[in-house]
Amino acid sequence: MIKPITTATPIKLNQRMANSLEKFSEQGGEKIANYINAAGKFAIAPLMILYNPFTTEPKENKKWAAVKQPVEAVVTIAAQILSLNLLYKGIDKLAEKGKLNFKLIQDAEKTGKIPEAILKANGGDKVKALKNLQKTCLDIFKDRTGTILTIALYVPILAISNRVFPVIADLLTKDNDDE
Amino acid sequence: MSSIISPITQSKLFNNHLKRVINDDTFAARTIVVCSVLKDVFAYSVRYKTTMENKKIPEKRRPFVAAMDLASGFVTSIAQIAVGFSIASPKVQNKLWNKIFGNAEFKNIGVAKKSFATILALIGSGLITERILVPLMATPLAAFVEKKFFKHDPSPLKKYSNYPFEHNSVFRKYLNAKPAAN
Repeated sequence: MIKPITTATPIKLNQRMANSLEKFSEQGGEKIANYINAAGKFAIAPLMILYNPFTTEPKENKKWAAVKQPVEAVVTIAAQILSLNLLYKGIDKLAEKGKLNFKLIQDAEKTGKIPEAILKANGGDKVKALKNLQKTCLDIFKDRTGTILTIALYVPILAISNRVFPVIADLLTKDNDDE
Repeated sequence: MSSIISPITQSKLFNNHLKRVINDDTFAARTIVVCSVLKDVFAYSVRYKTTMENKKIPEKRRPFVAAMDLASGFVTSIAQIAVGFSIASPKVQNKLWNKIFGNAEFKNIGVAKKSFATILALIGSGLITERILVPLMATPLAAFVEKKFFKHDPSPLKKYSNYPFEHNSVFRKYLNAKPAAN
């Protein structure tokens, strides 16, 4: 017997966006903030330098200043993601060893009082909600410690990108300099 | 290690913070905006310090240049917080969420809503305000300050530091100029 051909309904654009949003959410707030900052530095900052209508800067100077932005963005995001991954792995290990005991979770285990938003998101299932609470607390802790690490790394990251960017800027603007 | 972490994970302050971040999407998004601005504040402080130590800038003008650095950082931070906080407000969020994801399905709608608020607030503060609005405003603002405060200064050396005035030709002329002979 021949099976009828079924055509899958195409996924709507907003559902695709919803799926991407859920996937992106897994990264955590600190990483998302770093991605957005790097994207702005990489894509928008050079355009603003090159096409700012108020500047009367020579083109070569603009090019140099513009090149600095994406180089700094790449160096910064690479160092941030690398160090944040290491930090998050360390935190996960501590949590596995039972060395991260949040009072909020302990209280929830004792009293059964779970934050409303978590309980609601888990359809009132307390066991599921408690598991989710543990993950959420850990994620928030990672975000806050991640911010501190990112700030601490700011000086060495800037030092590296300041060394790298003149080399790349020279390479990219060399032809025009020779003219 | 646990002796350092335990006071934090057991503290009332941090646990109240956890509770609020979990229950309040607006607060969660605003916290990330503040964290993001804190990084910028740190960057501006570093810039202030390097400007004060920059021997290319004549000593008598260094405090002003550094103050300009600090002031521009302050203005940028305030603008970022204002925009980020407004976007994260429940009114704006509900309107946008219903418009974009009105009939979409989510595995965990709570997490998605929190991320949506955070991402939009960060785009508003970190991309649009910091990268587009402030650089656009900075150049005419720098020119205005120069005209207003340095009208009668005969010296060719000008007073601006790099960010967000780094696109200003006056600033570059200033940096390229030799330090004034004492």
